[in-house]
Amino acid sequence: MNEPGSDTETTPAAAPEPAARTGAGWRRDVWPGIHWIQELGGHRAGIARAVLESGADWYRPGNELYVPQNAYLLTGERTLLWDTLSPASGHILLPALEELLGDRPLDYLALSHPDVPHAGNTMQVLRRYPDCQLVAPAVGETHALYHLDDAMKVGPEDEIDLGGLRVRFPEATFLDAAIHTWMSEEATRTLFTVDWMGFPHQSGESLRRTDEIDTVVDVGRLEEFHSRVMFWFQYVYPHKVTAATDALAVQFAGYGLAPAHGLPIPGEDAAPYYELMNEVVRRVAAGGRGGVL
Amino acid sequence: MSVIDLGGGVSWVHESFPETNGHIHVSVYLIDAPEGAILMDSGSFHHRQRLADRIHDATAGRGIGAIILSHSDYPHSGNIPAFRQDWGDFEIIASCGDPDLQGLPYARRTKIGDVTEVLGRRFVVLDPPLADRNHTTWVYDEASRTLFVADGFGALHAPGASHVDWGRLPEEGRAEGVHEFHAQTLPWLRYADPDRVMGALHAMLEQHPPAWIAPIHGPPIAEPDIPRYMADLKAALTRIAERD
Ligand SMILES: [Fe+2]
Ligand SMILES: [Fe+2]
Ligand SMILES: [Fe+2]
Ligand SMILES: [Fe+2]
Repeated sequence: MNEPGSDTETTPAAAPEPAARTGAGWRRDVWPGIHWIQELGGHRAGIARAVLESGADWYRPGNELYVPQNAYLLTGERTLLWDTLSPASGHILLPALEELLGDRPLDYLALSHPDVPHAGNTMQVLRRYPDCQLVAPAVGETHALYHLDDAMKVGPEDEIDLGGLRVRFPEATFLDAAIHTWMSEEATRTLFTVDWMGFPHQSGESLRRTDEIDTVVDVGRLEEFHSRVMFWFQYVYPHKVTAATDALAVQFAGYGLAPAHGLPIPGEDAAPYYELMNEVVRRVAAGGRGGVL
Repeated sequence: MSVIDLGGGVSWVHESFPETNGHIHVSVYLIDAPEGAILMDSGSFHHRQRLADRIHDATAGRGIGAIILSHSDYPHSGNIPAFRQDWGDFEIIASCGDPDLQGLPYARRTKIGDVTEVLGRRFVVLDPPLADRNHTTWVYDEASRTLFVADGFGALHAPGASHVDWGRLPEEGRAEGVHEFHAQTLPWLRYADPDRVMGALHAMLEQHPPAWIAPIHGPPIAEPDIPRYMADLKAALTRIAERD
């Protein structure tokens, strides 16, 4: 497990300093009112090897390679935390929350899905903020098996007005668990895509948006992630997946993308990423899964 | 009834949970290995005490010596901490890129393709065509020819039928139980080509012919019933694919 301070090998000249970064945790405003708390996890040596073998030019040998977990804290007049990082990172999440919130309460904790690396600190957060309302996806049948039976259930019809920020819960188009939702924020026009649109990054790129790094996010980089996490792309009719992706590109045109396992993508840059993902699907459907994450 | 013996040292410790259109198994399996009892998955916290009592009885109070975990999903992994308190810091064998992130810092990592020995018994670690989480593995127990398939090969059942194997479920509603399970549990099947999924499954069954297929979320399927299950599964996948 790497300490936050180790992520300093290269610093792209164009990248602004994160708004706030201390030994207590990783965070910054990624867009107004949206704060980003990142868990790097360890260096992924196996993926780094695969990247080097592929001849990719975005990764510099010797750098650490990360597939992060992201949680996002939304602060309007009320506050909402989207996901909680993995159980290995309570020591990152809770101090970051305390510093970002100060005296303010945490009003909502919304879980994208009850997957361990996303929901791993749910109990700790609810213990620290006992008046916080737990919010969970409405879809699915087995909420009681995840301690989610008493949560406030949300789906595509629902909106939570945070005062200045408004979140909605569109259907998760690409997903793993059955109990699953995506989220959008309508003031900043941000789509939180959870397990979709993730990609690895390297030393010096943590807590940067895609417009703040010097390297490109291309098909191969997106494929390294999705050929592992969306292993089921190997079994699909590619045209069904690309049709769903094309529909998202229309529905969320201009929205920034805030994935759980990659760097956020500004809205003005997002359009080409949908077509990159279509190529990823075609490649995995033809070539099989890349491994396990 | 405590546990149901499938032969070859494997027994089914079944538990069920009520859903809208039927009940779903959230079971575990016990394997009698030369050096102790292996538990396949740990079940849901929802059934913790009943599972612990039945495992205690079935092992004559010795408890379990190891858990092979299919994936970290809570209804499979939820009892690991409690069982380790009951029976000591036994070995956890799990597949995942990073055990810490899955809340399993103490796990021994396996990889797809491994042949691994657990308490003196050999298991082949397989790449599952039907799974929700990417790090899921299925395992084939060579001694009993049991294929443990986690979220694969599930089926809902009617209340009252929680203790019978799949082939002995009433014919009426049985195929629907296979469809209903897959439609709700594996949401990606809406994009799947049924022929590709079935092809991968047939190849696996040919290479590792099972005497029993042992799912967590359905009754075990005996060898003579596998062709009928596969036919129902193919129909279910086709229905799901055609719906979207
Ligand atoms: Fe996930
Ligand atoms: Fe994830
Ligand atoms: Fe699962
Ligand atoms: Fe499951």
